[in-house]
Amino acid sequence: MNRRDWSKWGLGAYFVVFLAFLYAPMILMGVLSFQGPFGSITWPFQGPVSLEWWKSLFDANVPGSHADEIRASGEVSLWMSLAAGAIVSVVAFTLSMAFRRKFRGEGAFFYLVMLALMTPGFLLALGTQLFWSWLGEAPSLWKTALGANVIWGIPFGFLVMLAVWNRYDEGIEEAARDLGADQKRTFREVTLPLVWTGIFGCFLFGFTLAWNDYDRSILLVSGSEIQTLPLTIGGLTFTGAIRPDLYALGTATTLVSLGAIVLLLVVASVRLRFVGRRPAPAIEEELGVAEGLDMGAARGAADSK
Amino acid sequence: MSSSSGDGRPKLDIGGIEQAEEILEQRPPKAEAAQGEAARKQSGRRGLTALWAAPGFLWLGFYLIAPLVFIVLVSFWTYQVGASSGFVSNWTLENYSELFHDSVYWDNMLSSFYRSLIAVVACLLFGFPVAYFLALKVNSLRNQIALFILALAPFWTSYLTRSVAWTYPLMGREGGLNQVLGKLGVPGAPFEQLGFSGLSVTLAMIQLYILFMVTPLFFTLSQVDRTALEAARDLGGNWLRTFREVIMPQAMPGVVIGSIFIFVLTMGEYGTVRVIGGNVISSVGTIVQSKVEIAVQYPQGAASAVLLVVALVVGVFVITRFSNLREDL
Repeated sequence: MNRRDWSKWGLGAYFVVFLAFLYAPMILMGVLSFQGPFGSITWPFQGPVSLEWWKSLFDANVPGSHADEIRASGEVSLWMSLAAGAIVSVVAFTLSMAFRRKFRGEGAFFYLVMLALMTPGFLLALGTQLFWSWLGEAPSLWKTALGANVIWGIPFGFLVMLAVWNRYDEGIEEAARDLGADQKRTFREVTLPLVWTGIFGCFLFGFTLAWNDYDRSILLVSGSEIQTLPLTIGGLTFTGAIRPDLYALGTATTLVSLGAIVLLLVVASVRLRFVGRRPAPAIEEELGVAEGLDMGAARGAADSK
Repeated sequence: MSSSSGDGRPKLDIGGIEQAEEILEQRPPKAEAAQGEAARKQSGRRGLTALWAAPGFLWLGFYLIAPLVFIVLVSFWTYQVGASSGFVSNWTLENYSELFHDSVYWDNMLSSFYRSLIAVVACLLFGFPVAYFLALKVNSLRNQIALFILALAPFWTSYLTRSVAWTYPLMGREGGLNQVLGKLGVPGAPFEQLGFSGLSVTLAMIQLYILFMVTPLFFTLSQVDRTALEAARDLGGNWLRTFREVIMPQAMPGVVIGSIFIFVLTMGEYGTVRVIGGNVISSVGTIVQSKVEIAVQYPQGAASAVLLVVALVVGVFVITRFSNLREDL
C-alpha cells in the first residue's frame, strides 16, 4: 500500500465517522421509540421491545395519547406540503425559464431569488405577520404559512433547474424550430419532456421543506387552527412532559422525508434506464436527434439527483 | 427558418459561461440582423422573459419583499396597546434607542455571533475532509453521487426533530454521551455542560448545518483537475504546496459560499435553540420571539430583527472579501 492509498483509506474512515455523527442521534431516537411501557426519554433502554409508543401515535385509546391531534395535524401538513411542492415546482420552473435568456438586471434577479434562501425563517415569519396584520388579515395556514414555505422552497428549486439548464442542449429546441414546430409545440413536446425530472425535483424540495418547517410556520398559523405536524411536535416538546411517543413521531416524520428522497432517486434511475434502453421514440425520430435527446435526458436526470 | 443563435443565447449559470459565449458568438446571425428581424424578435423575447418571470416575481414580491419592507417600516412605528395590529404608523426612533440601551439584547447578539463564528470554523475544518474525499478520492461518478446523497439525506429531515434527537437520547445531562463517559470513568462526568448550554447549542449547530458547507465544497472541489494534481506531484511539489497552490484557489468560492450559509443560518436560528438550549440559552431569534409572542411588542421585535439583518449583511460582506465569487466560480 503506497501513500496515496493510505490517504484514501484514512479519509474514507473519516467519512464513515462523519456519517455516524450525522445519523447517530436519529438512530438512537429510533431505538428508544421501541421501548416498553416504562420507557423514558434517555438511556438505558427499558425493555421489553414493544410497539407501545408507536401504537399511541395512532390509537387515541392509549392513555396519554395525542393520536387525534397528530392525525389532524398530519393531514393538514400533508395537504399544505403537497400544495407547497406544486407551487414551488411551477414558480421555480418559470423563473428558471426566464433566466435562460440574458437580460438587463439578471444579476439583481439572481440575488432576489437567493435572498429567499438567506432570509432567516422566523424573520420572514415576523415580516409576513406584520404585513398581514397591517392588511387587516389574521395569519392562517393557507394564506400565510403556505406562502412563506413556498418562499423557502423557491431558491432550492431554482438552483436545481439551473443545474438542469446548464447541461441542457439548446440545439434540440433549435432543431425542433427548424423542422417547423412552433414555440408552443417545441415547449410542450421537446422542452418539458426533457426537464420534467428536474421539475419533479423542485416539487420534492418544496414538499419536504414545507413538511419539516417549524421556524416559518410558528407565527403564521393562528392558534385556533389545526397546527402543522412540526408545530405539534414543537408543542409536545416545549410544553408537555416528553415521552417516547415523541421519538416515535419524530422517527415517523423522518421516514416520510427519507421516503421522498428514495422516490426521487427511483424516478431518476428508472428514467435513466428507460431512456437508455428503449428505441428512439417518435418525437425524437421526427427530430432526428435521438442521440442528443438521450444524452440530455440522462444528464438532466443525473443533475436532479 | 426563424431560428437563430444570436437572440437565443443560452443562459448558463455556473462556470463555463464565457467559454459557452465564445463558442456561440462564433456564429452570429449576421444575415438575419441585416434583414432587420433581430430587433423585432429581441423585444418579443423580452416580453416572453417577463411573462415567464411574472408568477415568481409576484410571489416573491408578496411573500418576501413586502414582509421584509414591513419589518423595517414597523421598526419605526409606535407600539400601541389598543390597536388591533399592536402598532400604529406614527414614526418614532424610540424602538431603536431602547434597544441600544438593552444590554441583554447586545449580550445575546454577541454570544450568537461567537457561536456562529465557531460553527463556521468548525464546519470548515470538519467538512473539508469529507468534501475532499468525495470529490477527489472516490473514483466513479456513480459512487460519488451515491455517497454524497447518503451524506445529504439528513438535510431533508426536520431540524426540530433532529434537535430533539440530539438533545435527549444523545446529549443532555443524562444523555447517552454522558452515560458512556461516566461508565468509562472519565473524571468529572457527567458533564453539566452537555445539558442545556451554549456548548450544546454550538455542537448541535455544527451537526445540523455542516452539510451546507460540505455541499458547496464538494461542487467546487469536483472541478479540480485531477491531472493537475498529478502534474504538481510529478513536478515535485509536496503535499502542502499542492494543497495551497492547486486545491485552495479552486476551493475558495466553495469555502466562501459555505461560510455564508452557515453564518446566516446559525445567526438566524430559532427553533433548534429553543429545543437544545432549553430556556437557558437564547439567540436573537428567541429574543425577537419573546418580544412578539409574549409581550406583543411588535415594533421592538421588528427593530431587533432589523439589527440582526444589518449584522448578517455586514458578516456576509466581510466573508465575501475572501474571494471574488463572480470571477472565481
